[in-house]
Order: sequence, then C-alpha cells, then structure tokens
Amino acid sequence: MHLEYFLLIAAALFCIGIYGLVTSRNVIRVLMSIELMLNAVNLNLMAFSNYLDPANVTGQVFSVFVITIAAAEAAVGLAIVLSIYRNRDTVDMEQFNLLKW
Amino acid sequence: MTPSLAQSSWLIPLYPLVGTLLTIPWSPAFIRRTGPRPSGYVNILATFVAFVHSVLALREVWGQLPQYLEIPWLSVAGLELTIPLEFSAMTLGALVLVTGLNLLAQIYAVAYLEMDWGWARFYALMALFEGGLCALVLCDSLFFAYMILEILTLGTYLLVGFWYNQSLVVTGARDAFLTKRVGDLVLLMGVLALYPLAGTWNFKELAQWAQTAQIDPTLATLLGIGLVAGPMSKCAQFPLHLWLDEAMEGALPSTILRNSVVVATGAWVLVKLEPVLALSPTACAFTIAIGAITALGGSLISIAQIDIKRVLSYLSSAYMGLVFVAVGAHQTHAALLLVLVYALAMAALLMGAGSIISNIITQDLTQMGGLWSRRPVTGLSFLAGAAGMVALPPLGGFWALLQLTDGLWSNNQAVLVGIVLTVNWLSAFSLARVFGLIFAGSKQQMTVRAPEPLWLLVLPMTLCAGFTLHLPMVLQALDMLPAWDLLNKDMALLLTWSSVLGAALGSVLYVGRMVKDPTKLVQSRVQNLLAYDFYTPRIYRNTIVLGVATLSRLTDWLDRYLVDGLVNFVGLASLFGGETLKYGNSGRFSFYGLTILSGVVLIGLFMSWHYLPLIMRTFVTF
Repeated sequence: MHLEYFLLIAAALFCIGIYGLVTSRNVIRVLMSIELMLNAVNLNLMAFSNYLDPANVTGQVFSVFVITIAAAEAAVGLAIVLSIYRNRDTVDMEQFNLLKW
Repeated sequence: MTPSLAQSSWLIPLYPLVGTLLTIPWSPAFIRRTGPRPSGYVNILATFVAFVHSVLALREVWGQLPQYLEIPWLSVAGLELTIPLEFSAMTLGALVLVTGLNLLAQIYAVAYLEMDWGWARFYALMALFEGGLCALVLCDSLFFAYMILEILTLGTYLLVGFWYNQSLVVTGARDAFLTKRVGDLVLLMGVLALYPLAGTWNFKELAQWAQTAQIDPTLATLLGIGLVAGPMSKCAQFPLHLWLDEAMEGALPSTILRNSVVVATGAWVLVKLEPVLALSPTACAFTIAIGAITALGGSLISIAQIDIKRVLSYLSSAYMGLVFVAVGAHQTHAALLLVLVYALAMAALLMGAGSIISNIITQDLTQMGGLWSRRPVTGLSFLAGAAGMVALPPLGGFWALLQLTDGLWSNNQAVLVGIVLTVNWLSAFSLARVFGLIFAGSKQQMTVRAPEPLWLLVLPMTLCAGFTLHLPMVLQALDMLPAWDLLNKDMALLLTWSSVLGAALGSVLYVGRMVKDPTKLVQSRVQNLLAYDFYTPRIYRNTIVLGVATLSRLTDWLDRYLVDGLVNFVGLASLFGGETLKYGNSGRFSFYGLTILSGVVLIGLFMSWHYLPLIMRTFVTF
C-alpha cells in the first residue's frame, strides 16, 4: 500500500463531489456533494498523517476538527435550504437565479 | 508762432480719436431725444482742429530738417519698442492732405447722410480712420505701421459694414476684411523676418541698413515679396483686388476717404520700404509686375463697368498699380507725387459721383444721361477730377506721370513706359465714357428730374475740384515739380497724346454718341470677362475658398470622428465590456462553484508549473 493510492482515491472522491456540486439541481444533493468533498479532504489528512507523521498524528486531529465543522456547516446549510424552501416552495437550484446581472 | 507746434504734432492723431469717443453718446442707444447730428458736428470740429494744427506745423517745418520724437512703448528683455515719430515737411504735408480730405468728406457726409440715423457710428469710424491715417503717416517704424494697418483693416470692416442689414454689405465687409487681413499677415511675416536681419524697424535705420546689407538673394527676394504682400492687399492690387469692388457697398462719403486716402496707406508703407525692396531685383520685378498687371487690368475692367462707383474703384486699383510700378522702378518721388495728385483728383471724382447718386438714386450708368444742362457744377467738378487724374498738361496727373515715364525711359524700361501710356489712355477713355454716359445724351427716366444737391454736398465737391486744379500751382510754388528743362519733352508729348486720344475716343463714342451702341464694338465674351472682373469671385471660390473650406471640413470630420471617436471608443468599450461581462454573474450557485474550481485549478497549475515535470515523472515511474 502506498500513500499515492490513498491520495488518488481522495482526489477521485473530491472530483466526484465537485461534479455533483456543479451539476445537481437539488439543493440537498449539493450539500451532499459538499460532504463528499469534505470526506475526500479527510481521507487526505488521514493518509498523510499515517504515512508521513505517524508519531504526532496532527492530521488525525485536523480531520476530527473537519468532521465537527462539517456537521455544523451541514446543519446551517440545511437551515438555509429550509428557509429558502419556505419562501420559494422549491429546492431546485435553477430557480435560485435572482441575483444574476 | 510758438516753436512747439511742430513738436506737438503727435497731438494730431489724437484730435479725431477724441472725436471718436465724443460721438459715442449720440448713438441711438444712449441719447434718444436729440437725434444723431451733434456727433457729426463734433467730429468736423475735431477734424478742423487737426487740419489747422497740421497746416501751421507744416508752415513751421517747411525747409527745416526733420524733427524726431520717440515715445517709449514697451521694454522687455532684449526688445525695446519705442514709437518713433517724424515731423518733416513730407509727413506734415501728408497730414494736411489726410485731415483736409477728411474735413471735406465729413462735411460732405452731413449732406449725404441727411436721412440716416447712424451718424454716431459713421462719424466715429471716419474719425478712427483719420486718426489711424495720421498716426501711420507720422510714425516712422515698420512695426507700428503694421499695427496701424491692422487697426485700419478692422476699421474698413466696420465702415463697409455700416448698413449691415443689406446682405451684399455683409459679404462685402467680410471680403474686405479677409482679403486685407491675408496681406497683413504676410506683411507680418516680412516684418518679423526683417528684425533679425536689420535689428531695427525704423524706416530711416532700415534704409541705412539696406545700403550696406549683404544678405542671401533668395532671402532678400522672399523678404521683399512678404513686405510687398501687405501693400498689395491694402492697395487692392491683383489678385487681392476684389475687396475694393465689394467695398463699394459702403456709404459714399467713406468711399471717398477709402479710395483717395486709405488705399494709399499701402502705397505709403511701400514707398517707405523701397530701400529694403531694392535689395532684391526679383522683389522689385515682382512689384512692377503686380503693379503693371493691376494697372492694365483695372483700367480695362473699369471701362466695362456699368456701376459708377465701381468704375472709379477699378481706376483706384489701376492708379495704385502705377504707384507700385513707380516704387518697383525705384522712383519714390514720382510715387509720392502720384499719390498726392491721385488722392485729390479721385476725391473730386467720387464726390461728383456721390452728388449724382444722392438724388437720382440709381448707380447704373446705363440709366443715366443728359445731366449736363442741369448739373453743371457736378459736371465741372467731375471734369476737373478726370482732367487732374489723367495726364493733361497743366494739371497734376501730367506731372506725376511725366516724372514716372521719364524715369522709366532713362532706365531703359520702355515696356513699362508703354504700359503707363496704355493705362493713361485707358483711364482717359474710361473717364470720358463715364462722363459721357452721365452728362451727355438724352435724359432717361431716372434722370428726368435731377437738381443739384444741398450746398453742403456741393461745397466740398467744388473745393476738391478747386484743389485739383490748383495743385500744379501749389507744387510750383513749393518747388516740388520736376524741373521742366531736365524732363523728356517727347514723353510729355506722348503722355498728352495718349490722354487726348483716350478722351477723344471716349467722347466720340459716349459724348457725341457717334455709334449707336458702343457695346457692340467688342466681342461679348471679352466684354463679359471684363465686366465680371475676370470672374475673380469665381476664381477665389474655386481655389482658395474651396481649398480652405475642404480642409476645414476634413479637419472638422477628423476631429468629430477620429479624435472624438477614439476617446468615445474607450468609453464605449468599457461600457460594452461591463454590459457583456455582467453575464458572468449567472445567478447559479453551481456556476460560481465551477468558477472557483477553475480558479483554483489554474492557480494551482501556475504555482506548480516548475514541479509539473517532476510530478509527471513520478506518475510515469509509478
């Protein structure tokens, strides 16, 4: 097992997350894609921590922080989605283009 | 007689200027109740004072050495401008002529402008002219002569444009101003080019400088032509002669002044510049050529005119052309004598013409006729003027032209003698024609009832005629006539014959009316060519005016579309850029995400550019 494999997996997961973030029309799926990207980051942190810094495990501490922050962010994100939904009765991303030009 | 009278001659130009200021209150805008007449009387008084002063001063300096006076004007680093004034017999004599003719013309105007309300403006401008002419005559510096010429150009514009509600007056004043201005500007070039060469603008010092000056012939030629160009436009010489024709739209009393005196301003400057012109034979030849062409052309054109004022205006050009010939041939004495003689004779002629116009309304010679029996005074004055102008023996024109031809003959310039003789012949013919058309023949509808006008109009006219007739006696008494013994008697005979033949032919055709319709004698094409002044307006319009107009339109277009367009393009481009780039804000979250990602990827690539090969190798090995 090499570090590179983990990094590649994480990059692939990040790209999938990006793809989902850019293409999804449902707001919830966008939030989910963000979670995917955050998880890809966590994978990176864990892999680096394991291979490069097994003594201090700084990366693992980082990822603990990332998970907590991600949870909080998802909560706030869902709250925002709910408030938009209350006003506009939809969760379609294509409908939220009021602030264009 | 206090000895200070000549020394205080510098006051003479100031009297009419004070008159100018005093007329202003009587313009219709200020004093509304009394009418404009006092302005005229004030000016006549001022002119009279100036006249008396110049006569007394002339008596004082007669036979004395010239006195000089210098008034400092401007002193800046490296340039001292003082106004030098010369009080000599010549300048004071010219002052007497100017103020005397002005006095007569202003008295004349009292009668002529009886039915006009614009006296204040008219007399103010006449007085401005008088002041300007006096100052020009007194001042002995080319620079200040130029300044005064420019002021007089403005004066011409205003005076020709006196009745500005007539459209022809407006265009005439415009042409008079622009044409004279062009000449003035070229003169300015000459004036400015002269200073580094001579280091002075005083006519006297210029003459001294010119005696020993060694300058490049091309430079001398260009300088000479530049200096001639100013007088060329002032004296209405070809090709800058159209303005005098159009200036005949102005009021007649001002025409008297203009034709007899004002056009002579250029000749005066030219005479004073003769030593400088003499530096370059080419410039002298140019002066002679211009003068000869104008003299021939002007006298020919005057024969074909049907407007009485225009006949005389082209004769003015022709006689100024003779002055040019005289100056070009270095005969300044003859030139000055010619100017003096011409001024009096032309004033008498124009006053006669005005006396006719003032009560038969029309200026068209073809509608006049048969006035001799009822207008004898005008007729006699006209005859006196005509005789004084052409070379008829006892009178002034004969002496001036005799001196000119004599000088030309002894310089072996036989062609020029021929030209002078021809011009004299043509002028005599032209004057006889005008006389015949006005006074001989049968009465026409316009001339059926034509009394002699007011005494105020007749008095200056007869005085002018009298002066013209007495001029030879005055000249004789003052020892100013060329000595009879030294003169070429053959020339005298030739000149006399040329005038007599011209006058006789004119009389046969127009006084005796031997031929029914003399206009049939010449081909109508030639006749039209002369009557329309060689189509000069058309030539102007198709050359200079067209060129300048096209250039202005082009410049305007360039400014409007290229210069403005360039700046506007910058503004428009930013506007258009903003209008287009705002569509980058698509309002979609996913698009913003993509943008952020692309930014990150690009910056990442950019920052890791050096490491890319390393990474690639790693991947390849792996």
